[in-house]
Amino acid sequence: MSWPLALLVAAPVMAGLGSLLVQQRRAIEVLQCALAGTLLAAAALVAGQVIAAGEVSVGDFLQADALSAWLDLIIGFVGSSGTFYAVGYMGEEMDRGHLSLRRYSQFFCLFDLYLSAMLLGVNQENIAIMWIAIEGSTLWAALLIGFDRSKAALEAGWKYIILSAVGIALALFGTILVYYSSEHVLGVSSEALRWSRLYRVAGELDPAAIKVAFIFALIGYGTKAGVAPMHTWLPDAHAESPTPMSAMLSANMLTVAVYAILRFKAVTDRTVGPEFAGKLIVGLALLSLAVSAIFLLVQRDYKRLFAYSSIEHIGIALLGFGVGGLGVFGGAWHLMNHALAKSTAFYGAGLVFLRYNHKSLDRVTGLLRQMPVAGTAILVAGVALAGMPPFGLFTSEVLIAIGAYRAKPEVTYVFLALLALAFVTLLYQVLRMTLGAPGEAGTALGRQCRIFTSAAVGINIVALGTIGLHVPPGLEVLLASIVKIFGSGMEGPR
Amino acid sequence: MPLLTPLIGSQMVDLGSALLLLTCFAIVAQRRLSSCVDLFALQSVFLALTAALVAFLTGIHHIYIAAALTIVIKAVVIPRILKRVIERLNVKRELQMNVNVPTGLLICGALVILAFFITQPIIPLGFLLTRDSLAIALAIILIGFFMMIARKKAVTQVIGFLVMENGLFLGATAAAYGMPLIVELGVFFDVLVGVLIIGIYSHRMQDTFDSVDTSKLTTLKE
Repeated sequence: MSWPLALLVAAPVMAGLGSLLVQQRRAIEVLQCALAGTLLAAAALVAGQVIAAGEVSVGDFLQADALSAWLDLIIGFVGSSGTFYAVGYMGEEMDRGHLSLRRYSQFFCLFDLYLSAMLLGVNQENIAIMWIAIEGSTLWAALLIGFDRSKAALEAGWKYIILSAVGIALALFGTILVYYSSEHVLGVSSEALRWSRLYRVAGELDPAAIKVAFIFALIGYGTKAGVAPMHTWLPDAHAESPTPMSAMLSANMLTVAVYAILRFKAVTDRTVGPEFAGKLIVGLALLSLAVSAIFLLVQRDYKRLFAYSSIEHIGIALLGFGVGGLGVFGGAWHLMNHALAKSTAFYGAGLVFLRYNHKSLDRVTGLLRQMPVAGTAILVAGVALAGMPPFGLFTSEVLIAIGAYRAKPEVTYVFLALLALAFVTLLYQVLRMTLGAPGEAGTALGRQCRIFTSAAVGINIVALGTIGLHVPPGLEVLLASIVKIFGSGMEGPR
Repeated sequence: MPLLTPLIGSQMVDLGSALLLLTCFAIVAQRRLSSCVDLFALQSVFLALTAALVAFLTGIHHIYIAAALTIVIKAVVIPRILKRVIERLNVKRELQMNVNVPTGLLICGALVILAFFITQPIIPLGFLLTRDSLAIALAIILIGFFMMIARKKAVTQVIGFLVMENGLFLGATAAAYGMPLIVELGVFFDVLVGVLIIGIYSHRMQDTFDSVDTSKLTTLKE
C-alpha cells in the first residue's frame, strides 16, 4: 500500500471540490498552494518508492511502474508549478474584473479535476480504465479550453471536443480489440486488460488482432497527442485557452497521450516484433516534424508558435520511441525536459498577454528590458526548446539521432534537416521577442500576480537547469527500467 | 432443438446488428434534426435488445445491466437533452450539408465494405455466436465518423458521435461478450458527461453566434 500514490491521485479531487465549495478567494488560494506542494512531494515520494521497489500499488486500484512514475514526476512537477501560476494568472484576471468569484472557483475545480484524471490514467494497469480516465481528462480540458467564452475560444473548444471525441472512440475500439484477443488467453475478466499480464502472454496473442488494435490506438491517442495529420485542433486549443491551461495541455496532456501509445506499443512489440509499431510511429513522427517545421515559419501569434513547437517535440519524442533502444532513453528524457521547457515558455507568454492584451508576435519586442520575468522565461525556454546546450533537450535530441542512425540511417537525415529548420525559426523568433527595445507600454501587472508567476517560472527554470547537464542518479534508474520495458527496438538485439 | 439453438441464436444476433446498421443509413438520409434524434433512440433500443439477447444466450449477467443502462441513458436521457437543445434553436431542418444525401449513402455503403475488409483477418478468432457483428460494429463506427464530417449542425455532429459510441458498444458485446462491468459503467459516465458538455457548448454557440451551424466557426485558420 503506497500512501503517496493514493494522495497523488486524490489530492487534486479534494482541492478541486474544496475550491468549488468554499467560494472565497483567500481560501481557494491557500487550498491551491497546498495542492501544489502536495503534488510535488507526492510525485517525488512515488518516484522514490518505485526506484527502491520497482513498482508500487494501492490495493487493486492503482499501480505504478517505472514508466508511470516517470509520468507522475512530469505531471506532478509541472502540475505543481502550473497551479502556482494559475493562482497568479487567474487572480490578475479577477482583479481586472474579467472574472467573477464563481467562475474563478469553477476554473480551479476544473483544473484540479483535469490533473487528477490524468494522474489516474497513468497510474492504472487496466487499459480500459486508463481509457476512461484519459477520456475524462479530455472532457475537463474541453470545458477549460472554451473557458473564455469568446468566439475564438468557443471555436477552438468545439474543434477540440469533436476531434478528440473521434480520436478517443477509435482508441476505445483498439482497447476492445486487445481484450478480444487477450480474453482467449487470460479468460473473461479484468485480468485480460492488465499490462503486466498482457506483457507476459503477449507471445500467445493473435498477431492480426493486435496489429489492427495498435493502428486504432495509434490514430486514436495520436489525435490527442497532436500527431500530424490529426493535429489541427492543437494550435487553436493552445492559443485560445487561458494560458495556465495552454501550459498544462502542452506539458501534460500530450505527454499522457504519448504514454498511452507507448503502453500499446510495448504489447505490440512483444507480439509481432518491434518493426511493425516502430515503422508506423516513425512515419507519423517525421510527418509531425515536417508539418510543424513548415508552420512554425508562418506564425503570427506567439502562443501558436509555441503550440506548433509542441507538435515538433512530441514528434521528436515519438521518433525516439519508434526506433527503440537508445531512442527510448532519449524519448523519455525528451518528454520530461519538453514538459518543463514548454510550460515555462507558456508561463512567459501568458504574462506577455496579460500586459499587452494581444497575441501578435510581430508587436512583441524587448521583453527582457520591460518584463524581466517573462523575458527570462521565454528566452531560457526558447533556447532550450530550440535544442541548445546546456539543456536536456539537446542531450535527448542527440541521443535520439544516434538511436535513429543505428536503426535507420535514412531517417536520421530527414530528422536532422527538419530539426535544423525548426531550430532556426524558433530561435530567431524568441531572440527577436526578448532582445532589443520594448515597443508598447501595456498594462502593468499586480503585485500578487508577479509573485506567484515568478515563483512558477523560477521553479521550472531551476529544474530545467539542474537536470540539463546530467541525469540525476535516481532518474537514471527509472530510465533504465523504462528502456527495459521496450527492449532494443528496431536496432535489433546486440 | 439444442442443436439448433446456437445457429438460431447467432442469426438473431446478426439480425439485431443488421437493424442497427440499417438505422445508421436512415439517420444519414434524414434531414430533420428531431427525427435524427428519434432514430438514434430507436438504434439504442435495438442495441439494448441485441445485448440482452447475447446475455440470454450466453448466461453472462452483467450484459443485462449494460443493456438496461443503454435503454435509460441512450434511449431516454440523452435524446431528451438533445430535444431540449433543438427546441432552443431556430433551425429544425438541415438544408445545407457538406455531402448531399445520395452521395452520403453511397459513401456509407463503401464504408461497410471497408469495415468487412479490415475485420476479415481477425473475425475467425471470435466467439461463434457474435463474430459477424464485429464487422458491423466497425461499419457503424465509421458511419458515425462520416456523419461528423458530413454534417454542419452541432446537434447532428453529436449524433454522429453517439452513433460511434453505439458501434463501440456493439463491438465490445460482439467481440468480447462485453467489457468488465466497471469499464462499461465508466464508459457510460463519460458518454453522458460528454453529451452534457457538448450541450453546454451548443448553448453558448447559439448565444454567441446566433446559430449552431459549425461552418460559421471559421476565424481560426492558418
